[in-house]
Amino acid sequence: MPEQTRIEKIKYGLLKTIDVSGFKVFDPVVRLFFGEEPQKQVKDITRYMLMPILFVCCCLVIWNFVAPRHKTKSGEVPTPEQVWSALKVNDTLHNRENEKESDFTLSDKERDERIKEVEILIAKKEEESKKLKEDLTTIDAEVTKKKDESLAPLKAKYTELKAAHKEARAERAAEAQKMADAVAEKKSGTEDLLTLLRQSNKTKELEKEKEQVVKDQIAKINDDKPKVLQNAKMASDSVATEVQHLKKRLDYLTSGNRSMKVGKAKESATTALTKLESAQSSAEILAAAKTVVKSEERADKIAKQEYPRASTIWFQMWRSLFTVFIGFMMAAVVAIPVGIMCGLNRVAMACLTPIISIFKPVSPVVWLLIFQIVVGAFFPNPETHPFFLFLNSLPIVGRLNSNPALIFSACTVAMCALWPALVNTALGVSSVENDHINVAKVLRLGLWSRLTKIIIPSSLPLVFAGLRISLGVGWMVLIAAEALSSSEGLGKYVWDQYQNGSSLTFANILLACFVIGIIGFILDRIMIVLQRAVSFDDGAATV
Amino acid sequence: MTTPAMEIDAVDVGFGPPGQRTEVLSNINLSVNKNEFVAIIGFSGSGKSTLMNLLAGIQPPSTGAVRMNGEPVLRPGPERGILFQNYSLLPWLSVYGNIDLAVKQVFPAKSTSERKEYIQRYIDMVSLSGSEWKKPAELSGGMRQRLSLARTLAMQPEVLLLDEPLSALDALTRANLQDEIIRIWEEDRRTVIMITNDVDEAVLMADRIVALTPGPEATLGKSFPVTLDRPRDRTTLNFNPEFIKLRNEVTKYMVGINHEAKKLRVSADLPLPDLMPIDFNSYDRKPRLAEDLSVTTSESTSVAKTENHELVGAADE
Repeated sequence: MPEQTRIEKIKYGLLKTIDVSGFKVFDPVVRLFFGEEPQKQVKDITRYMLMPILFVCCCLVIWNFVAPRHKTKSGEVPTPEQVWSALKVNDTLHNRENEKESDFTLSDKERDERIKEVEILIAKKEEESKKLKEDLTTIDAEVTKKKDESLAPLKAKYTELKAAHKEARAERAAEAQKMADAVAEKKSGTEDLLTLLRQSNKTKELEKEKEQVVKDQIAKINDDKPKVLQNAKMASDSVATEVQHLKKRLDYLTSGNRSMKVGKAKESATTALTKLESAQSSAEILAAAKTVVKSEERADKIAKQEYPRASTIWFQMWRSLFTVFIGFMMAAVVAIPVGIMCGLNRVAMACLTPIISIFKPVSPVVWLLIFQIVVGAFFPNPETHPFFLFLNSLPIVGRLNSNPALIFSACTVAMCALWPALVNTALGVSSVENDHINVAKVLRLGLWSRLTKIIIPSSLPLVFAGLRISLGVGWMVLIAAEALSSSEGLGKYVWDQYQNGSSLTFANILLACFVIGIIGFILDRIMIVLQRAVSFDDGAATV
Repeated sequence: MTTPAMEIDAVDVGFGPPGQRTEVLSNINLSVNKNEFVAIIGFSGSGKSTLMNLLAGIQPPSTGAVRMNGEPVLRPGPERGILFQNYSLLPWLSVYGNIDLAVKQVFPAKSTSERKEYIQRYIDMVSLSGSEWKKPAELSGGMRQRLSLARTLAMQPEVLLLDEPLSALDALTRANLQDEIIRIWEEDRRTVIMITNDVDEAVLMADRIVALTPGPEATLGKSFPVTLDRPRDRTTLNFNPEFIKLRNEVTKYMVGINHEAKKLRVSADLPLPDLMPIDFNSYDRKPRLAEDLSVTTSESTSVAKTENHELVGAADE
């Protein structure tokens, strides 16, 4: 066999990476790049890459076409473009939170510099905003003028119509009166009067319909918001919110700033101290001393304060990921040892079968409620509980504001994700090849080495297949659990959006749908890579 | 008389619950001397693998006893190294790792460097040098069996049990491996019991050939001593009159016992039921009586039983 050249080594290394990560689709791209059978690769790329891309584009086009035609209570169904802009809006919100947080914690010279920067920005943006507002008013005036022009004839027509109809109605009433008189004088029968009244009612309906048609036309013109106006309004609004944000930042840099607040508290402490020194009577001394201690305590407390972040979609995403990770780990820690026990021992399996069979089909909602009660009892004062104090003092995890809601959501995830991992582990352990068991027997391996050298390596592919299913189930359950229990996370984000009903609500929900889907996909890929890494038979499915 | 290295004494092996018990082996008696190479030859399905499991201690005898150096064999152990038909390699371990697992377990006192040297010696012995870090999946069938052989030999077993070690290999690789096993065996002779279904292989390799009659209730038949001089060269052996004579003798005997066994069996032809299509005009369309139903079911089970018996009996190739 000839030695591989360096390029070949790189090529096969790349191909292997692609294969292991389960992105077989990119295989022809790499091969084409290295010039291997270009015709075949191009054919494969068209078939398995371009066609799917085309199909997805088709779906987007259909979505774009259908969505605005379906009117709902919370507005039209958003188009892909609107969802994309929702993503940008959410991202801006997140960045603004970051800015405010950094402003809040700044102090001394840096703070002064930042204030200058922000003030310059505010001046610039305010000017811009002013100009945009002017533009908006001119455009608005133009549009109103145009509208009035087109409305004038219609309105005239409407008043005309109404007047004519009023007249006709009066005439008909007079005639009816006349007939009634005639009937009273016994000059004619009631028959004609009734016919007349029926006729007149029908005419009235017709007249009303005619009026309605004109009215609808007027309403349509009134409701019509030309694109120019909309765009101008949006531009003006966005700059206005930007200005608002900058002012808020300024606030966080000055009076709302942490160091400033601390300084203030310390100042009051020093004044109280001087008062204490100059105090004469015991009552005054006591009061002043109390103020000193109080002010000092306050200064300490403020110094430890964190910026109260609003929960943006990215924050919710990280929180959901953390929750699912905890839940998944809990499931794995229970499922793998128990599964191994069940696979090794038929009595253990028989003992656990009823429990597995009964609890496996239970809905996550029920588990959520149960855990809400059970976990809640463990943490009567979550703010001061050492477990949460510890979690929230950790470097990255601390920012996620762990609370009992996170724990019981994680427990729900664990409870639902437990079963596939357990059953698969038991299956993997019990289906170790007889030959391998014979090897262990001939070598007289003890229980521990039999487990670690033969049984666990042999069942790992199935164990990981189970864990992969578990993680998928866990992620799905978590979103539902968060929505139901108002535990911070993507589920809560969706639920909040549904409840608050702003103009972006629907787009935000669809955005969250994509975020959830993409994360689920990435988690699954990670599990596939792990599964392939431990598989010795290349038998792991990639779909 | 010295105690035999390996002895099977009046052993019966049967499976299944009482009443439906199938006797796989019955009244097996075998005694193998120290450093003797015995080949047990039999048709597939005659209980060869059960016999091997019996010798290894994986399968306990129903009656009788298996003894090694006079001590009864109660469980498997490294002193009886077994070479499995389907290699039994651990696919997640490399060539080195597979051997290392055995060596670590059998010689826990060896230091790391000693062990490394020791393992390398066995890898070289089976000509697998250069493939130390390959996984079994990357090896060919012959290489896998060689690795399996190296692992078994590395345990330094007193008795080597070869369970159709070469039957899964192609003819050329098989010949190659036969030579290799013989070469290694001649280097340091030890007791070998090999099970095979290849007469040539048995004559070429063994000191003594014992026939296993076709099952069920297989037992050991005639024994043929092989007196050919060693080393035996397969190229010249084909013209050796003694080799030809022995081979024919064994083959004839094997075919004979197979024929005998066939004669003993029930006729293979199933009598077809004599059926005529139902004349629906004369057919009385009443629901069938429960009695009728029960009669038909019992009939069908009896048919299934005879069929089953046939399947067990069809042990020829």
